Amino acid sequence: MANINLKKREIECKIVYYGPGRCGKTTNLEYIFKTFRKQAIGEMVSANTEGDRTLFFDFLPLGLGKIKGYDVRLQLYTVPGQVKYSSTRKMVLREVDGLVFVADSIKVRRKANIESLRDLHQNLKEYGLSIAKVPLVMQHNKRDLGKQGIPLLPVEQMERDLNRQLKVPFFPASAIKGQGVGDTLKTCIKLTLQSMKKQLGW
Amino acid sequence: MNEEDVKKKVKLYIQEADLYQSQGLLNEAKETYLSAGKLVKKHESVLKNKNLLKMISKKLQALKGKIDRVENEPETVNLPKNVQDIIKNKFAFSQNDDTGALEGAIALAKFGQFEAALGEFNELINRDSIRVEAAKNIIRCHKALDTIDDAVAVYQEWFDSDFFTPDQLNKLRVFFQGILDGQGIDIKLSEKPDIAKPPLNDAAESEAETPEIADSELDEEEIIDISSVGITLNEGPKKGETIEYDVSFQAGSVINLLISSDDKAFMETLRTGVMLNEVQFYSPIAMFNGRAVVSSKSEIESGPKQGYYSLDIKVVSIL
Ligand SMILES: Nc1nc2c(ncn2[C@@H]2O[C@H](COP(=O)(O)OP(=O)(O)OP(=O)(O)O)[C@@H](O)[C@H]2O)c(=O)[nH]1
Ligand SMILES: [Mg+2]
Repeated sequence: MANINLKKREIECKIVYYGPGRCGKTTNLEYIFKTFRKQAIGEMVSANTEGDRTLFFDFLPLGLGKIKGYDVRLQLYTVPGQVKYSSTRKMVLREVDGLVFVADSIKVRRKANIESLRDLHQNLKEYGLSIAKVPLVMQHNKRDLGKQGIPLLPVEQMERDLNRQLKVPFFPASAIKGQGVGDTLKTCIKLTLQSMKKQLGW
Repeated sequence: MNEEDVKKKVKLYIQEADLYQSQGLLNEAKETYLSAGKLVKKHESVLKNKNLLKMISKKLQALKGKIDRVENEPETVNLPKNVQDIIKNKFAFSQNDDTGALEGAIALAKFGQFEAALGEFNELINRDSIRVEAAKNIIRCHKALDTIDDAVAVYQEWFDSDFFTPDQLNKLRVFFQGILDGQGIDIKLSEKPDIAKPPLNDAAESEAETPEIADSELDEEEIIDISSVGITLNEGPKKGETIEYDVSFQAGSVINLLISSDDKAFMETLRTGVMLNEVQFYSPIAMFNGRAVVSSKSEIESGPKQGYYSLDIKVVSIL
């Protein structure tokens, strides 16, 4: 649950980027850090392995400025996508307010996407949260690779695989070029703030 | 297919595999190179270029080296200070200053930052409300770092210095002795003569002191320190057997166990969410039965416990 400080009139919410290994979560955050410099209220911090895989998490704090008299701050996190880091993923997910699920459009990653979404579902459940209720946005990343002749999953197929029941907003994206990154984040922020307003009567 | 068709198809495979490799999708790259290789072999008779196969196998060789390196990567266990600070500050969720600080330090330990955690716990033993908890975690960190001797020395300092009340010290002694005994380390910790230690068969009584805990409302605070657990298997080849494990960390009702990778078949039955209906919890003063659920499982990738599984189980009920 978001942290509200009534005295200081501050609200802090946590948005987590989830998804299979190598799908582009860190790339999303890097692009955000690069393009929304003014909003960043601290450096982006990453704990990587040598091979650039996220080991624990990436962290980026953003300030949204004043909303209804409250200073609203966002903490963006990515989880490590590799299957073996499951306990870290769960720790990072704790007290999450909003989620971006980044799916990999590369055809051979179809199963990895589905398994990661299932893992998210399970971890949320263990925190008493329902994937159907948490503010969630999908991103179908790496759409640019189609032009390089790499077999991609059609967006419709990804929607059927991942979003048939959830029916959350989704964005085709190319995180490396920045396409769709801003829209994904903005929509997630919107949903997150809406849900907070409802929960807190704020 | 004629030679041109085959060559084209092989080239596409190789391009695809190269890209997967550049994306860090190493297993996918391997599969794709292998497909290219198979295609070349199948059409060997029409291909004049005999170097194709050699080129593919060279690429595969290099890739296998890379996969090996990634798999055996010594993951920087010591994170830089700025990352440790985020762990400490952002992975503590309690509103209470003291328990918040304790949570932050435990988070450091959970992320494998035992040295940094130790530094924190050494500060936290000065705070009255959490000093015993902090001291226990100092011992746990030493255990994780394989520096039990240091823990013994620290305990002796506490013992000599009156830093803890006799009652607190006794709690620590019972806790630590349980760990030493559990590890088969033949050290007897010093004991203040004036403190009556609870006789062993008082276990039932001391349990009776804690209020009855209903199945669903297990109070985190009520869970005493557990030094080891026995899990009775209800599936798999060892069905019916009870296997005992030392506890490496405990945070309230969540208990972390390290399980050797020799127990692979066993680990496979322990999927996240699986309910363990027959668990014996051993604390230094009592043994009790209960149920626990597997809350997470992962393989340790580096450090002295490499190859072990780290398993979190959450105590659901105590009988
Ligand atoms: N072509 C292309 N490559 C991308 C895109 N997004 C990410 N990548 C590449 O995919 C690889 C993995 O990206 P990361 O952002 O590190 O992936 P991650 O999801 O953080 O991976 P883990 O930390 O292992 O979970 C890198 O080589 C990126 O450059 C994209 O939109 N298009
Ligand atoms: Mg990453």
